[in-house]
Amino acid sequence: MKKQEFINKLKEELEVEIEVTIDTSIKDLDEWDSLGAMILIAFVSDSFGVTLSADDIKNISTFKSLIERIGLEKFE
Amino acid sequence: MKTTDFNYKSLKNKVILVTGATSGIGKAVSEQLLNQDAKVFGIGRDITKIDKSLKKNKNFTLISFDLYEINEIENLLNNLVDKNTKFDGFVNCAGREETIPLNLYKSDKIKSLYNLNVFSSIELLRVFSKKKISNNFSSIVFISSVMGELGMPGKVGYCSSKSAILGVVKSSSLELSKRRIRVNAVSPGIVLTPLTEKLFLKISDENISAIKDMHPLGFGKTEDVAPLILFLLSAQSKWVTGQNIKVDGGYSVK
Repeated sequence: MKKQEFINKLKEELEVEIEVTIDTSIKDLDEWDSLGAMILIAFVSDSFGVTLSADDIKNISTFKSLIERIGLEKFE
Repeated sequence: MKTTDFNYKSLKNKVILVTGATSGIGKAVSEQLLNQDAKVFGIGRDITKIDKSLKKNKNFTLISFDLYEINEIENLLNNLVDKNTKFDGFVNCAGREETIPLNLYKSDKIKSLYNLNVFSSIELLRVFSKKKISNNFSSIVFISSVMGELGMPGKVGYCSSKSAILGVVKSSSLELSKRRIRVNAVSPGIVLTPLTEKLFLKISDENISAIKDMHPLGFGKTEDVAPLILFLLSAQSKWVTGQNIKVDGGYSVK
């Protein structure tokens, strides 16, 4: 999957209304809450087989940091 | 008082089928049944996980079987019985937990959870309840969960699958009463097992603490749940059927 494709799909799952980029902070989004964290964990697990932990969620800030945590090698 | 300080003479030499026998509640039930001199047929998917002491016990037979292979369950049980050996009890501990938010819960994901938590349970019950497989006066115990009657975000699948088991128990208890076969459910709260360890990895320490605080008596251990299951398997509970008994440290009343 390409990085922008991933960001767009995640934005759709989180039902984010504004435009987002790789530098957008996920946690500053209006739509971000504990349910959003659950959606993120499930979506990343489904798409990449990577399970994010509670610590990962604490440490992630932007979409870029999320992509790095998943692993750049997993993206086209 | 040790929770293993009890003796159910009626369980001696009884033949009991236990699914999920390699870990958690299924393992504890198997161990306590063997302490009562029952014979246990333990089903597990990953038999490398089996405890050495269980494996060495001559009254324990371990069967490697994947319960997702629902169409093979009938063959499996047919091959375990003969004219001298039929089952006297069945404890269904196999199941999985899942946290998936509703908007990502498409039906193929739900079906996968239901295949293990519900459909394999019903198929095991269907085959077990045949006269060639089980004796009259047998006792069946399903492990449901307090989450079968309560709700939680992210648990549409898990909660509904455990709720489904309660419906299975009520209806089948009436259907099987003619043969004096009893069917009951035990609904644990959070019990410290490999299943809950996996769950705890996904959530923060604050969340784990908060969940612990929701249990007035703290988290449970497998040996807190197994004795009730043995009671339900024994002749001591011969007038108990169609019930759901919660063992949850007070979680569901708080």
